[in-house]
Amino acid sequence: MNPLVCYQTVAVLLLGLGFYALVARRTLVGMLIGVELMLNGAGLSIVAAAQLTPTDAILGQLGALLVMGLAAAEATLVLAIVLIVSKRFGDAAADGPRELRG
Amino acid sequence: MARLSDISVLGQIAFAIYALIILFGGGMAVISRSLVRAMVGLVISLFGVAGMYLLLLADFVALMQILIYVGAVSVLIFFAIMLTRASADGGEGDGPGKRGLLRAIPAFLVPTALMVIMLSVYGVKGAGTPKNISVNALGAGLLGPYTLPFELISVVLLAAIVGAVLLTFEKRGVN
Repeated sequence: MNPLVCYQTVAVLLLGLGFYALVARRTLVGMLIGVELMLNGAGLSIVAAAQLTPTDAILGQLGALLVMGLAAAEATLVLAIVLIVSKRFGDAAADGPRELRG
Repeated sequence: MARLSDISVLGQIAFAIYALIILFGGGMAVISRSLVRAMVGLVISLFGVAGMYLLLLADFVALMQILIYVGAVSVLIFFAIMLTRASADGGEGDGPGKRGLLRAIPAFLVPTALMVIMLSVYGVKGAGTPKNISVNALGAGLLGPYTLPFELISVVLLAAIVGAVLLTFEKRGVN
C-alpha cells in the first residue's frame, strides 16, 4: 500500500465514524461532535492529497486552514442554536424540534 | 541506503501509532454514553490528526489544528455541553437504541466500504515523501494568488459571530 492510500483510508474512517455519530446520537451536541470528526477527515484528505502528489502544496495546506475556519464558524453558530433549542424545549435532544407547531 | 530504510520504518511505526490514536479517540467520541467522555475522545482524535499533519510535513497546519480545534472548537463544544446539560450524561445515557443502531451501522459501513474499495482499485499512486513548504511560502500564497478565500473566510467568521450574538440575544422586557 502506498502512503497516499494509507492516509486516505484513515480520512475515510474518520468520515464514517463522524457519519455514525451524526445518525446515532440523540442530542444536538453529540451530532456536532460527529460533524467535527467528518471535517477533520476532510482536512486530512486534502492535506495528504496535496502533499503526496504533484499538486500545488500551498493550495492544499491553505484549503485545510479554510476548512478549520469554517469548522470554527459552524461550531459557533451551532452553539447558539443549541442554546436556543435547549431553552425552548427543555433539553438538547434532537427529536424535540422535529415537529412543526405554530 | 540502510539509514533511509530505517527512517522509512520509523515513519510507518509513527503512522500506525497516530492511526491507532485516531481510531481510539474516534471510537470513544462515537460510542461513549457520556457527552463529556465523547468530547475527550474527540480531542484525542484531533491530536492524532495533528500528528498525521506533522508526518505529512505540514507543520503549520498541525500547529493550527491544535490551536483552533483543540484550543477553540473543543472549548466551544464543552461550553455547549455545560450550558445545555439536563442530566449527568447530557441526554445520551440510553444509547442510540435499536432503531438508531439499525440506521447508524449502515451509515458507517456504506461510505467506508464503498470508498475503501474505490481507493484500493482507483487510488492514485502518490509520491513516497511529502513536499516541504515553508511558512513564508504559505503567507505569500495567502497574500498572492489566494487572497479571495482569505478575505471570504474573515467575512464568514464575522457573519458567524454576529449571527451567534443575535440568536442568543435576549430582548429586554420580553421575558
